[in-house]
Amino acid sequence: MTTAGDQAQATSAALAPEVDEKTALRLQAIRVRTEPGEVAAFFRETGGIGSGDFVPLTFPFRWLALPSIRGAILQVLGDGCLPVHEGQSFAYERGLKIDGEYVLAIEIRSTEKPQRLILKMTVSTDQGDVCARLETTLRIVRLAGEAQS
Amino acid sequence: MIPAEGEPVPPNWPQTGDEIGAQDFGPFEPEALVRYAAVSGDDNPLHLDPEAAKAAGLAGLPVHGMLMLSCFEPFLMGWRRDLFIARLSAKFLRPVLAGEGIRLFGRVLRSQKVPIPELILRLTARGPNNDLAILAEAAVLHKARHQSS
Repeated sequence: MTTAGDQAQATSAALAPEVDEKTALRLQAIRVRTEPGEVAAFFRETGGIGSGDFVPLTFPFRWLALPSIRGAILQVLGDGCLPVHEGQSFAYERGLKIDGEYVLAIEIRSTEKPQRLILKMTVSTDQGDVCARLETTLRIVRLAGEAQS
Repeated sequence: MIPAEGEPVPPNWPQTGDEIGAQDFGPFEPEALVRYAAVSGDDNPLHLDPEAAKAAGLAGLPVHGMLMLSCFEPFLMGWRRDLFIARLSAKFLRPVLAGEGIRLFGRVLRSQKVPIPELILRLTARGPNNDLAILAEAAVLHKARHQSS
């Protein structure tokens, strides 16, 4: 029987852009922590309501800015381009705890036509239990005046 | 973790077709974009540097898509506090510029009571002139038995 969740997954797939995936880059596992001060600041700036005693849904997105991940993205991106956020998905098996330690698995794919980067992140506990999966689609925009390489 | 089958249906569980009352977020001033960049790590110059935005063909600084997407969590919590957002998928369709706000809308596409209470929601964010900025879908569960890891 098709569940509502199945339908959501199917619809999520429909929302995702069609891509011609070309290359994949897998980064080494990265350890992260939901540091309470960082969670509170994020909660405050994203319109959080209530006591803020939970990790906001979109908080893991910030881990894409970690130097090792950002560096890999910039390497794939190349000079004279900016990433434009085109699509985003989150799928949670369980919520994240404040002051919890997690392990990230990251995969980066690029596509030629259209030019995009697709980043897949899996957030797991130390014991290997998957908490969340994120998928980020970035369209690559060449800045005006930049020659195509 | 995902609730087990057989969970009792909570009272007033929404029905297919139910609407979630619209809610406004923003306007997002440039200072808010700077603060979001700080807490999220997303310091893409597109959102912070008018020249970069101009080079990308934009009339102003575009609000971070993730800042707007983050608003869906407090939007849904303002509707019902007993929900766990298991999945959220979104496409960013049109930029919203600094100084502008968004209005969020939601509707229950499908309501399921068994094997577990679950809702599929259509979520949208509209900017000035009612332009569709974000098209999203969410699968939400009843939070009663949900636990963080």
